[in-house]
Amino acid sequence: MSYDIDIKKVRRNCYRQSKVRGEFMLQIRVPGGVIDAKYLSFFQHIAETWGNGEFHLGVRQTISIPGIKYEYIDEVNKYIRPYIEEIEVNLCGVDMVVDDNGYPTIGARNIMACIGNRHCIKANIDTTDLARKIEKVIFPSDYHIKLNISGCPNDCAKAHVSDIGIIGITKTEYDYDRCIGCKKCVEACAHHATRVLSVEKGKIVKDSCCCVGCGECVLVCPTGAWTRNPKKFYRILIGGRTGKQTPRMGKIFLNWVTEDVVLGVLKNWEIFSAYVMNNKPEYIHGGHLIDRVGYNKFKEMILKDVKLNPEAMVAERVLWAETEYRSNFNVKPVTQR
Amino acid sequence: MGYCVSIKRMNEILKELQKEYKIYAPVRFEKRGRYSDTDLIRYAEINSIEDVVYDEKSDFSPKEVIYPITQALFYFTEYEYMESKIDDKKILIFARPCDINGFRRLDTIFLKNGGTEDIYYKRLREKVKFILMECKEGGWDSCFCVSMGSNKTDDYSLAVRFEDDNILVEIKDDEFTNLFGDEREVEFTPEFVTSNPTKVNIPEIDSYELLKKIYDLDMWKSYNSRCISCGACTAVCITCSCFTTLDVTYTENGKVGERRRVHASCMHEDFTIMAGGLSFRKTAGERMRFRTLHKIYDYKLRFKDEHMCVGCGRCDERCPELISFAATINRLYDEVKKLKKAETTKDIK
Ligand code: SF4
Ligand code: SF4
Ligand code: SF4
Ligand code: SF4
Ligand code: SF4
Repeated sequence: MSYDIDIKKVRRNCYRQSKVRGEFMLQIRVPGGVIDAKYLSFFQHIAETWGNGEFHLGVRQTISIPGIKYEYIDEVNKYIRPYIEEIEVNLCGVDMVVDDNGYPTIGARNIMACIGNRHCIKANIDTTDLARKIEKVIFPSDYHIKLNISGCPNDCAKAHVSDIGIIGITKTEYDYDRCIGCKKCVEACAHHATRVLSVEKGKIVKDSCCCVGCGECVLVCPTGAWTRNPKKFYRILIGGRTGKQTPRMGKIFLNWVTEDVVLGVLKNWEIFSAYVMNNKPEYIHGGHLIDRVGYNKFKEMILKDVKLNPEAMVAERVLWAETEYRSNFNVKPVTQR
Repeated sequence: MGYCVSIKRMNEILKELQKEYKIYAPVRFEKRGRYSDTDLIRYAEINSIEDVVYDEKSDFSPKEVIYPITQALFYFTEYEYMESKIDDKKILIFARPCDINGFRRLDTIFLKNGGTEDIYYKRLREKVKFILMECKEGGWDSCFCVSMGSNKTDDYSLAVRFEDDNILVEIKDDEFTNLFGDEREVEFTPEFVTSNPTKVNIPEIDSYELLKKIYDLDMWKSYNSRCISCGACTAVCITCSCFTTLDVTYTENGKVGERRRVHASCMHEDFTIMAGGLSFRKTAGERMRFRTLHKIYDYKLRFKDEHMCVGCGRCDERCPELISFAATINRLYDEVKKLKKAETTKDIK
């Protein structure tokens, strides 16, 4: 069969072009990577009816179904309508009209998250819950953003290599009277984290400058002298990316911010992106957008109308460390600026 | 005598009691548990009956009420010292049967061990009266009080059963009768758990030879890799009583300060380290052996009557490495049985 397909249009619907002419892979969003197991049979049906019978656990936690022929796309889009309604509208509260045309945009990518405190003993936050709240803020938008959420600074979800990375951190609190000076927390902090604890006169002293908020001290404390402040705190990293040219680790932008701040910042992402790209959404990593206008402009725009909580800390500047696959990659002729 | 008391009236009665008593009960500390979004239940002063967590087992035991984790014994300057003071009020503790039986073990250790009474324990202990809290049927998954014979007690002043809108109260101590004079009389005596899902068999260790063989059992070694020596099991234990004493100086010249004691744990690596670095129990397995035998062998050998462990099961619940003390006791029982069997076969030969 000969195909004449506008593949950009199809991609916008979350169908990725295959090396086999006329075949596509549907990327089904699973915000935060957790949904009811009942959907497995739904995915199975799509794969076996219209795909090649296989599915891929997408690296961004989509359920990806390859081998869908172009001519079936309309049928598949009709079939996934209730799924989009259930997940996007009912579960995440996304403000969108769901019709028979499938996903409206691929812009804001599926939000990735580790399993978080629904399961993980190290986690400080419910990553699934946060992913669903964020989905409501960033989807559907044509502006690209890759957003990863980790439940603790171990960062299993790789917040450090996403446009915006969010890490759940805990403000630990110390009960002097409950502490028996056993040094277990000191050892745990030295082993897992940043060596900020020490013992003085049988009790613990903390150099809170560099506590990463992992909560290892809480996990190990036998008496419950260390506990988590019940309020949830987050660290936001920016500008991380993978890629062929200049992959780099994201850098810390905000520390010890609340959920309100996280959501407030993300509300401004689209406005910021539109500003940098003159209202023409393109597939460009967030880090490049920040680079184009500079960190200060980014900071100004992204924090607009965001009320920072008193504990919050904001990066004064960001020192990127890129892996330049071609040396002096950023040094360009005047004509290409 | 039994009474049916409404929540509202109970709170009024508590207010009345608080004039003379500090009242302690298991209280929920929201989101203060070891893991994120889990609660911690431990003893603290209560202000209303709703504060009492009666339908769950507390993470920590009530021993902290009269044997604080950190306790100043006396204060000193270069020339003088002054004993620490305690609150004048008496103490009421909402406690379960295992814990009340546990306090008897603490009494033995602090008051009847080696002919000296521990005055810091005694001065608080003397103030205590118990309000017995009924357990749910069978207790909780990890309870093995029935196996340890500590599921029952009559050492209480009041006993309570929490119902939806009311609290049933039994009064055994005349001091409190007046307070309940206006309440509706009912037949009520507390019920005790008579069977737990978890059961343990206590090995009978009847000879020094057998004890020596137990020391060398391979089973202890399995804890070298499993146990992280965190001491959580002893911290929550109603019958663990070890402490360490240290002088904390306040000033730069180091001559003014306090002597305090803080809880210690035989499960910690440094528990047996002496000046000079000599240490008796170097491995986690050896420490587990010590703890096990202390709880179900040597305490009874010394004080007769009863074992130290009351089977509250808190150590099981709290162990981050999922080591069960009940399973450890049962494993030891099986090993001892094997050793004894080998012994009889040898005799016959
Ligand atoms: S990032 Fe932290 S919370 Fe998430 S899975 Fe890894 S260890 Fe657990
Ligand atoms: S682990 Fe807990 S009890 Fe031990 S020294 Fe640290 S705070 Fe104190
Ligand atoms: S939360 Fe802070 S103090 Fe505790 S282990 Fe982590 S870095 Fe150390
Ligand atoms: S050893 Fe365990 S079960 Fe026994 S009294 Fe102590 S905490 Fe309770
Ligand atoms: S709580 Fe568990 S891991 Fe910790 S010392 Fe006790 S047995 Fe070992």
